[in-house]
Parts: sequence; structure tokens; C-alpha cells
Amino acid sequence: MRSLFSLRVTLVWIFLMLATALSWGFGHGLGFGSHYRYATVAVVIIAFIKVRFVFLDFMELRTAPLPLRLTFETWTVFVSGALIVLYWQGA
Amino acid sequence: MAVAEDAPPGVRPHLPGEAGIWVFILGDMLIFASLFIVFVYYRGQDVALYADAQRTLNQHYGALNTFLMLTSSWCVALALNAARAQRNYSSRRFFMLGMLCGVGFVGVKFFEYREKIRAGFTLTTNDFYMYYYMLTGLHLMHVLLGLGVLAYLRQVAHAAPLSVQNFTALESGASFWHMVDMLWIVLFALLYLLR
Amino acid sequence: MNTRNQLLCAWSGFGFALLFMTGFWLIAGFVPPPSPDASATDIAALYQQHTWQIRLGQFLMMGSSGLILPFVAAISIQMRRMEGSPPILTYTQLASGAVGAVFLILPCLIWTTAAYRPERSPELIQLLNDLGWIVLLMPFTSFVVQNFAIGLAVLGDQGELQVFPRWVGFFSMWVGVMFIPGGLLTFFKHGPFAWNGLFAFWIPLLVFFCWYLVMFVFLRQGILAQARTAPAT
Repeated sequence: MRSLFSLRVTLVWIFLMLATALSWGFGHGLGFGSHYRYATVAVVIIAFIKVRFVFLDFMELRTAPLPLRLTFETWTVFVSGALIVLYWQGA
Repeated sequence: MAVAEDAPPGVRPHLPGEAGIWVFILGDMLIFASLFIVFVYYRGQDVALYADAQRTLNQHYGALNTFLMLTSSWCVALALNAARAQRNYSSRRFFMLGMLCGVGFVGVKFFEYREKIRAGFTLTTNDFYMYYYMLTGLHLMHVLLGLGVLAYLRQVAHAAPLSVQNFTALESGASFWHMVDMLWIVLFALLYLLR
Repeated sequence: MNTRNQLLCAWSGFGFALLFMTGFWLIAGFVPPPSPDASATDIAALYQQHTWQIRLGQFLMMGSSGLILPFVAAISIQMRRMEGSPPILTYTQLASGAVGAVFLILPCLIWTTAAYRPERSPELIQLLNDLGWIVLLMPFTSFVVQNFAIGLAVLGDQGELQVFPRWVGFFSMWVGVMFIPGGLLTFFKHGPFAWNGLFAFWIPLLVFFCWYLVMFVFLRQGILAQARTAPAT
């Protein structure tokens, strides 16, 4: 069990759980007061940081051939960027 | 990006699983990306309706499912880890735990849908609920497909010693499951937390 | 080896795609589809003003749909090489591919019926128009079965030389999944899941023809490889 908790994937899992709790807080007005639009942008950014950790550590793209990794990195940047811009224009 | 996080020098890049599975994964990610973008775009056209409808969601279900999905992904990563050490028994147990979390996810979704339908919120109630059911429904379909994949991987993990082909199968299936996890992370933020 | 006939069958898929789209898009003018939200009068006007084009377009679409059958047969022959015995997925593909052709022919007949007497009551024209679109875009079931049969056969190919590359198997299954949202189009009259929307019409259409192209390319390669390896008879 000790070795289990020293694994990188375990650290990533703990981080993902904590990040979920944090974004839940932001989604419910934690820290941003009435600036809910900033809170939402933070929620989206946290979601895509989580996505990136899933890509790199769970899907093991950190050690994958560069073109594959870059495809996923591009997806992350493009989709998160598009969502934030569209949200900001709409809200 | 810190240098220390990258592959240590001298380690050759390793493609997880087989090339073909990445065609499926990237194809799915393309479609879900367009679903996300379409949802946020139309939400922007009528923010008040989407925000009001979103308040009728039970956020606890969404959060609980996120924890289940993340834990399931973690179990599958641990199963792969155990398989690499040729610890078959341990690997199969982690696959089983991953499947249990996945089944839990389906169960939570069932109760969530039931609560919503009983309260009169269906696919045709309004545009928010249209996206809610379509996005979570398509994702749920992937979860069910993924559970089948995990059951298959658990069978693969019987082979002793595990061959190169076995590892290719394990990595391919695990990558698919992690993608299902990743999609839920985004869906949770977009459907439950966007304000 | 009847390589020539096999290649002919593979090319017939190409002919289908070309003729079907000519009828559907260029002649009948059904791309983009009329909105499911449009009033009965608007739909009736569409059939009254373009009666001739719609009839001719449907003739071409219906006529080209038969060309799917030799294409499906050509896929089956290559699948049998992947599968060995018993060729159960091959039969599944053959049957579901044939059923798929039926669901391309039926909407043509329904739309033709609408254009047969365009002066009739607009409500009836709208009914036939609805029926045609629903019959074309809703029945994902045989396509999903067909694409998963192909996918599983490709992935199960144990031969020394793969008939189709493995990614084609995954691609085929992904294509199958893409048709599923169309099954829910009856719930919507507007938006991306309605019959003129991104996920019920545009993506399935694009993906369907991409699948045809991919299948055609590898079918051709498979047939030529088969001709090289098998002794001439």
C-alpha cells in the first residue's frame, strides 16, 4: 500500500479530486464574490488543467511520440480557448 | 512546463496502445469538442434560460459522478501499473474496482435522470435540458461501452506472463476509459458549474 | 481470381456516392434540408416550385442506391478473408448493409409521392416530407451493426498480412457511433439535433461519405493484394 501512494498517478488522482472540490467552490461563489464571470472562467481553466493531467499521466501521453502529444495539447488549448471566448461573449 | 516532468533523457517515446485506437479517441474528441462549443455558443444566445434551468439540476449528483469517474480512471491506471509488474491478481482487482466505480457512475446517472423526469424535466422541456440529456446520454453510452472494454481488459490480465500484444490491448482499452473520464470532467464544468 | 468483378463492385460504391449526392444536393436541392420548423404551406410551396427537380433528383438517388449492394458484397468478400471460418461477421455485414440500402431507397419513394401530386393539401405534403426525412436519418441501427461487424472483423484479423489496416476497424466503429444521435431527431424541431442540425444531418452526412472513401481505398488495396497472393485459376 505504501508504494501505491508514492506513485505519480496517485498524486495526480489526489490533485484531480482537490481541483474538483475547488472548482465546485468557484462554481458556488467561493472567492470571487459577485464576479461570477471570473469564477466561471476559473472553473473552465481548472477543468482543462484537469484534462491535461488526464492526458499526460493517465493516458501516458507524457512519454508518447511528440506528434500525438502535440495533437492533444492543441485540442486542450483550442477547445478551452473557444469555450472561454464564447462564454465571455455570451454572458 | 517544467523540464523535470518530461520523459527522462534516453527513454524512447512509447505509443500507448495501438495506433488505431487513437483514431477512435481523436474522432470522439472532435465530436465532443463540437458538442461543447455548440452548447456554450447557444447558451450565450439565451443566458437567462440556461442559467434558470441549470439551477434545477442537482449538483451533488454531478460532483459525486466526477469523483467516481476520477477514481475509476485512477484504478485503471493502477491496474496497468500492476500488469507491468506482472502482478496479474492485483491488476485484475484494480480493473474490477475501476468497473465498480463505473457502475456506480451509471447508477447515479439513473437516479439523477429519474429525479429529473419525475420533476417534469425532459428532453423537450427547453434547450438547456435538450443539451443536458443529449450530452450526458452520449457520454453515458461511452461509459457503457467502456465498461465492456474494462471487462475485456480484466480477462486479458489473466495471461501469465503478459505478452507485448497483451500490453497493447491493455493500454488501448485504458486510454479509451481515460478519455471517457476526461469528457466527463469537461461536461461537469459546462453543465453544472457554468454561471 | 475474379479480380475484375471485385474491383467493379468496389467502384460501384464510388458511383453510388457520386450519383446520390448529385441527385440529393444538385438536382433535388435537399441540402441543406428544409427546416422541420417550416409551416405546411412553405413545405408545399417547395414541392410545387421544384416538382420537376425533386422527381428527377429522387430518380437518381433511388437508382444509385442499388449500387450499394455490390459494394457491400465486395466488403463481405474481404471480410471473409479476415475472418476465416465461420464467417459470422461477414454475414452480419452483408445483411445489415443490404437493409441499409433499403433505408436509402424508401425516402426517395416517399418524397417522390409528395412530388407526384404537389397540388394536394399542404398538410399531406408536409406529412410525406416529414416521413421522408425521418426514414432517411433516423434508422441508425443497421448502419451501427454493419460498422461494428466490419470493425470487429478487422480487429480480429489474425492473418500474417492484414487485409485492412487496424485503424480502419476503429474508424468504422467510430463512424457507427456517429449515426446514433440521428435516432433522437424526433424530439426536436430546431437546433443541432433536429433533422437539419449539425449532429443529425451534417456530421452523419460527412462521416458517411468519408467512410465510403476510406472503405473504397482499402477495398481496392485488399482486392489487389488478394490477386497477388492467390494463384491464378
